[in-house]
Amino acid sequence: MTMLQHAILLLILPLVSAAVIALFLRKRGALASYVSTITAGLIAAISIILLLHGERNFPNASWEWLRFGDFTISLGIKFDDLAALMLFIVGFVGFLIHVFSLGYMHDDAARARFFGGLSIFMFSMLGIVLADNLFMIFIFWELVGFSSWLLINHYHHKQSAADASKKAFIVNRVGDFGFLFGIIMCYWLNGTVSFSELADKAEHGQLVFSTLIPLLLFCGAVGKSAQMPLQVWLPDAMEGPTPVSALIHAATMVAAGIFMLCRINVLMVPAALNVIMWVGTITALYAALCAITQRDIKKVLAYSTLSQLGYMVAAFGLGSTATYELIDLPTNVVAAGVGAAMFHLTTHAFFKALMFLGSGSVIHGCHHEQDIFKMGGLMKKMPVTFWTFTIGVLAIIGMPFLAGFFSKDAILYLAMEKNSAVFAILALTAVLTSFYMVRLWKITFLGEARSDDAKHAHESGLVMTLPLIILAVLSVVGGYSGVFGKLAGSIAELVPEAHGSNHTIILLVSLAVMTIGAGSAWFFYKASANDTLEEKSPSLFRLLGWLKESFDRLYNYYVAKVQQRFAMLLNFLERVFLADTIIGGLGRMVGLVGLGARALYTGSLHTYVYWFLLGAVVLWAFAAGIF
Amino acid sequence: MNFSNASLLQLAIVTPLGAALVIALGLPKRFATKLAAAAFALPALIALWLWSQFPAEGAQNYQFLSSLDTGLASFGISLKLGLNGIALPMFHLAAIVGLAAGLYALRSSAERLKTYLVLLLVMHGGLLGVFASVDIFFFYFFHELALIPTFIMVGIWGGRDRNYAAMKMTIYLTVGAMLSLIGLIAIYVKSDASTFDLIELKRAIAVQGIGAATQNNIFGVLMFGFGILVSLWPLHTWAPLGYGAAPSSAAMLHAGVLKKFGLYGLIQIAVPLLPEGAAHWAWKLALLASLGNVLVIGFVTMAQRDLKQMLGYSSVMHMGYCFLGIAALSTIGTGGVVLLMVAHGLSVALLFLLATSIHHRTHTFDMSEMGGLAQKTPVLAAFFVAGTMASIGLPGFANFWGELTVFVALWNFSPWITAVAVAGVVISAIYGLRSAAWVFFGQPTEALQRVTAAHPPADLDWYERLPALILLAALLFFGFYPKAISQPVDQALTSTVARTAPVSFQR
Repeated sequence: MTMLQHAILLLILPLVSAAVIALFLRKRGALASYVSTITAGLIAAISIILLLHGERNFPNASWEWLRFGDFTISLGIKFDDLAALMLFIVGFVGFLIHVFSLGYMHDDAARARFFGGLSIFMFSMLGIVLADNLFMIFIFWELVGFSSWLLINHYHHKQSAADASKKAFIVNRVGDFGFLFGIIMCYWLNGTVSFSELADKAEHGQLVFSTLIPLLLFCGAVGKSAQMPLQVWLPDAMEGPTPVSALIHAATMVAAGIFMLCRINVLMVPAALNVIMWVGTITALYAALCAITQRDIKKVLAYSTLSQLGYMVAAFGLGSTATYELIDLPTNVVAAGVGAAMFHLTTHAFFKALMFLGSGSVIHGCHHEQDIFKMGGLMKKMPVTFWTFTIGVLAIIGMPFLAGFFSKDAILYLAMEKNSAVFAILALTAVLTSFYMVRLWKITFLGEARSDDAKHAHESGLVMTLPLIILAVLSVVGGYSGVFGKLAGSIAELVPEAHGSNHTIILLVSLAVMTIGAGSAWFFYKASANDTLEEKSPSLFRLLGWLKESFDRLYNYYVAKVQQRFAMLLNFLERVFLADTIIGGLGRMVGLVGLGARALYTGSLHTYVYWFLLGAVVLWAFAAGIF
Repeated sequence: MNFSNASLLQLAIVTPLGAALVIALGLPKRFATKLAAAAFALPALIALWLWSQFPAEGAQNYQFLSSLDTGLASFGISLKLGLNGIALPMFHLAAIVGLAAGLYALRSSAERLKTYLVLLLVMHGGLLGVFASVDIFFFYFFHELALIPTFIMVGIWGGRDRNYAAMKMTIYLTVGAMLSLIGLIAIYVKSDASTFDLIELKRAIAVQGIGAATQNNIFGVLMFGFGILVSLWPLHTWAPLGYGAAPSSAAMLHAGVLKKFGLYGLIQIAVPLLPEGAAHWAWKLALLASLGNVLVIGFVTMAQRDLKQMLGYSSVMHMGYCFLGIAALSTIGTGGVVLLMVAHGLSVALLFLLATSIHHRTHTFDMSEMGGLAQKTPVLAAFFVAGTMASIGLPGFANFWGELTVFVALWNFSPWITAVAVAGVVISAIYGLRSAAWVFFGQPTEALQRVTAAHPPADLDWYERLPALILLAALLFFGFYPKAISQPVDQALTSTVARTAPVSFQR
């Protein structure tokens, strides 16, 4: 089989799995879970084969799907180093999460729907990774949105889950509004939406640059990667089962926004990158502040994900340290920060999936308790979960020699070189990150058990702990060039590296922010049933809480008070004016003018018809400008 | 000309009409349902066969042509049947939705079931005839044949407010049909071709042409006439009311298929024959459709609590996209409209069917009195979610391709109108997902708990599932393989439309 056929098989496998489950295995949860997991295993295997085989950019890998005149929409496969890296993350992490789910969802009544949903998700996500043009990415973009909706809504009898899924879908659609508009604009201005052709045009200086196109396309990323101001859906999405949060809302789908940006980097112009950089930076800080006051273990991780996604977006916007210039171009071509963004995306996928699955293991062990202040003392009861989770925490706060250390340093170095304000904010965010992460870790695992559920906590089975161990290993080694270089190929060469004195500065800054954040949390928080910050400084605690609430309040106000009232108003006008007064009245009016009022009240249907006909003719004549 | 295929096309139209006649003459009920089932199924099979026979390339003109003299030859009227690339998908839409609506009706608990089936069969025959007619007179005649049973069905088997709804629907649609007839006759008169044959008309007009002022006037009449039939804002108010009251099979066939008569007339007759008139009216049409149908009606849909009214309004909103695609006056836009017409027809029929199934279980259409139904009826929930996702344009369903191509085409017309149209995607997501959540998710309301305590709801049975499955399968098929529609449509558009139109039909 050729490598191209392997890639096509990647798309077909999960689709077949989802179809088989939906059609035949609806009531056979166990079988459905095995079908889905085996499929995920095959996907992981094929992605590794494709990664290692080394063949890239398959020729003739595009098929026409629809044609009107000379407008065509094609589906095709673009497999370069970027796709290979992303494919490995989706395939391998996805497989581990499938395995974990076998244990986590074992007692769920709707297991078949869950695993069917996971398969649809894998199909959609792989489509994004392999897409060779913007229309195709949009198609699968919408489909991941659907699978996300389906899986957040898994516990659909809960009103909160139903609301959260709806919110996620609609907020994403708001972002997609800009995305689709940008795709159409790109199509008409450049005549193509194929990534290869766009890159080709850029190389020959034929690309039409516009600040609007990349910014509109970025709207899609703002929705999918939950950047401000559309970040509100991601914390609510934690209503879904924990493996879903790990797979979709931490490691893969939310990172698709960054992946998409890297795909379209040739379209970037400085002004657009500037906006992207600031959106990412502010999101990173805002989400880190929100994370401090959370009590729900998954919500802390969700805000942390938001913050780290902000890091990646900021890295992309900061641009690359390596500048390349092309002759005869209307604008200065800038290289976006693809290397640093993808590097952090990779390590984040490992350690955040690890921590989400760890939290899943904790929740499973504590009989579905999610409040960290009702946990405690889990270190001894759940040793494997504890140690792997600890590695995840160390990785995210940037402990030297773990994966997060390298990727975060790359971004900080980039910021230091490019923009000192952004550098300061990102460094502050790093302090906050270690602060809330150590808080979470200490309150959850140390001290005494603070509830019956925590007292009777038990370690999860091998099927759940094994994925944790594998992800922990990746969280340790994922940052070394021996590993990341192998995974990312030429992308790894784009990662900015500090040398000489810069290297020392960055190392010191990085160590300082980690130590300050982690140390203050370690000494500040007590593993007790109450939030220490709430006791010591209620006003600060309230302020942070308000910060988190403010967006939701604003949007809720808009939806309930503005949008819905506007809809009700239009509905009222529709009923009163249009339904009977204007259209009916127009006929009557014409009748009055032309033939006197009496004829109108004959009560006969026919007369009414003719008056109405006359009214419509007059309406048309008026519109046609006859009088 | 392939004789046997041409006679199959005739057979497809005659079968339901003939079956209606036999049943009306007094066939016993148990034979009547079997005969009706066969009469609904046969056209669908013929349609599938004709699709496989339709040439993949070089089919610029009508295929499967046949002509019957009806004694009106001196007026230039003959029963000429055939399918071109645009008619082919529409014919299939009629065949598929007719089959689904028919199967659903067979088991309905309607009183006087035989009369109901007779009317539905007549309607089905009329619909198939509309899209197979090459002669404009018969095109109109078949439309009336399908329209009149609709009024009767609403009046007899309708739900709440059926008398008012039937009257209002009759008035509006009769006026719309009359205006269209005036416009069609005006074309006949002004072309000097002395024929209603569309092929001949096109040829004659290509040679002589019609003056720009005349074109503007005729197109205006047709636009408002067809516009009323398709529920162009602000002439749409019959639609939500009528569909709210109509019995499910009638609503399925009318909203799904018959409503497309106006759009089909615009694409197949008005735009190619009156290109300058079309260009003259394009902006006005686009403004009415984008601000009225998409934006205003989009918000109005959001305010609906009644499931059927909501579906009626959402259907009005989606017609806005169809008008916009026509207003774009391009191959892409027109092709997108054909895709969207087929897709919308399938999805709205599916949703009307499911709305009735929901009503059987909740005894209400008020969505605020439902909730949590998915726990009791997961299959019904899955179908409804699929139908909703299709109608809000999720990829994988046919609707997505239609909307996407219309949006792409609109950019060349006006980026601002494109922005309004694309914003509609957010609006439809809001009302679509909200209705699914209201009906199926969360916990049941107290009102629903009382109903389900008295009548425990069963999940979708096979008599509901089969027609729903047919519609859903078609939606998914075209969603995964849009080329099945775009290929014939593209052939018809690039040849006939592009040649006669002075406005650029190539981009």
